[in-house]
Amino acid sequence: MVGIARLLPRNYLFTILGIAVGVSGLVALGAMAERITRFIDGGDRFVLGQISVAGEGMGMGTGFTAGGLLRAAKIEEIAQVPGVAAVQAQVMLPLNPTTSQFLTLTQELILGVDPAAPMPNRQFRELPVKSGRFLRANDRGVAVVGVDFAATRKLAVGGRLELAAGRTFEIVGVLDKTLTAPDRFAIIPLDDARDLWLRRDPLLVQVFAGGAGMGRRDLNTGAAVAWAEGVDPDDLARRIQAGVPGLNVTIPGELSRLLRQSTAFFSALLFGIGVLGLVIGGLSLSNTVTAAVFERIRDFGIKRALGATDLQLLREILGEALGVSVSGGALGVALALAIGTLVDARVLRDGQQLFLFSPRLLIFAVAFSVILGGLAATYATLRIVRLSPAEAIRRGT
Amino acid sequence: MLVRAIGLGKTFRGPDGGPIPVLDGVDVEVKPGEFVAVAGASGSGKSTLLNLLGLLEPADRGEIWLGDVCVSRLSRRAQCPVRGRSIGYVFQSFMLIAGLTALENVLLAARYVGRSRSEAQPVALALMERLGVANRSGHYPSQLSGGEQQRVAYCRAVLNAPPLVLADEPTGNLDEGHAAVILSELRRLCRERGASVILVTHRADAAALADRTLRLRAGRLESGRGEGTT
Repeated sequence: MVGIARLLPRNYLFTILGIAVGVSGLVALGAMAERITRFIDGGDRFVLGQISVAGEGMGMGTGFTAGGLLRAAKIEEIAQVPGVAAVQAQVMLPLNPTTSQFLTLTQELILGVDPAAPMPNRQFRELPVKSGRFLRANDRGVAVVGVDFAATRKLAVGGRLELAAGRTFEIVGVLDKTLTAPDRFAIIPLDDARDLWLRRDPLLVQVFAGGAGMGRRDLNTGAAVAWAEGVDPDDLARRIQAGVPGLNVTIPGELSRLLRQSTAFFSALLFGIGVLGLVIGGLSLSNTVTAAVFERIRDFGIKRALGATDLQLLREILGEALGVSVSGGALGVALALAIGTLVDARVLRDGQQLFLFSPRLLIFAVAFSVILGGLAATYATLRIVRLSPAEAIRRGT
Repeated sequence: MLVRAIGLGKTFRGPDGGPIPVLDGVDVEVKPGEFVAVAGASGSGKSTLLNLLGLLEPADRGEIWLGDVCVSRLSRRAQCPVRGRSIGYVFQSFMLIAGLTALENVLLAARYVGRSRSEAQPVALALMERLGVANRSGHYPSQLSGGEQQRVAYCRAVLNAPPLVLADEPTGNLDEGHAAVILSELRRLCRERGASVILVTHRADAAALADRTLRLRAGRLESGRGEGTT
């Protein structure tokens, strides 16, 4: 960039700064849109990666399914349905029982899984671990936490986490950022999750004491079902619903549509942010480049008086516009990155991340600067070359 | 004949859109090596005449011939090399480009006629040396005095050794000493290089250096043949 800057006329400094401000706005708005998009897409990928099943009824657990207790016998029945590759019993509890249990992707959750069973979700065969390790078979009293969950509590591998009065877990792993729901998970072994559930829910204790014929294996808020290769998951979900009575089965395709509908506002918001960013950034950039060319109309008049052809002038102005746009674009990207990093460092304390500076966004921003800068410079040049050299000199003096 | 203008006419539009005739049927002939002064009151059309002869703006009427070529009939594109190779222009307000050094300003003239920098730079530096501004070659216009700026502008105008040099009040913003340097250089161009010079001036001493003076009044030449001074 320093090399390009040296080639540019000295009076382009403020033009570069002007473009940088416009581009930084575009990149910052784009990065926020990217962040929200990744969040929504992550949730969508998750629900499309498995069939979620709960027991008939409502209100026993929480998480991605709404339904009642899913007893072990039902899980075994599900496993017998043709096309089912695996069924993983799960316990999903809200970290804070006083908060709403409605389906939400931003809620902090305790997820109990059987470490011995393979992850059934096709989109998340394994969750990426940033430090430490994931759960292993026969683990007890340990937890793997999402990156935001860890950040808000300053947790690291080797630390301890209290999930119920007198019940602490050793952190054995911290997940890498997924930018979606698992960032707010505390994942613990299934049996530990069942213990926590019993401690938290007096009704369950009464049910057990009342001789309902239930064992610990029946304590599941739901199950994740994996399908065999070549099986249509929506068809399989419908077959499970029809073949195993007493279940609430989510159809992945329908749940995805529901999720999309529920996030339609965000999608519209993203579109608005994107358009706004393009308009603000684009106007700022094209206006700055055009103004910079018109400001030098006298110089171009002089050059025409010295014999410069339209093509020579266009080449010269485009070269300068390219240098200015690349410099301004790169500076704008750097500015947005600096601001985003500072803001994210602050909001990360609350477990949030506002910006996602994806490579495609950064490449787009610089390409956008160059293309728009070139178009603006071409427009300005075509306006200038229509003037006689004397007229250009008069207008610029 | 190097320059021949026949029946030149130019009309501008005023702020109200009405026509403002500036030149009306002007005929000019300049021989190679001739130094011609153009005098007249402000608004008489002197600078416009120079602009038309220098192809800096198109005439509404009439023809301009440079040697055997009717340059006023050339396309806008074809006029560019004529301006670059055959015409040097010295402006009253120097017209240097602020973002370029003195040497870069001089070398601009070479750039647009396809001369390489390596070939043109020694010529430019020699010219600047002769005009006493070589030591300022790396300075920007804002770092130069008016006299220095005009000498740099003069170097730029003559770098390509054009057969025609047009000077629009080149001494208008200079003190006596600097004005004398520029005028003597223009005179020398005619005598030593055989270039034709057309000088617009208010100064009687400047006009006195010319071979003859054309007087413009209200867009017309007072005397079609001008008056000889040498």
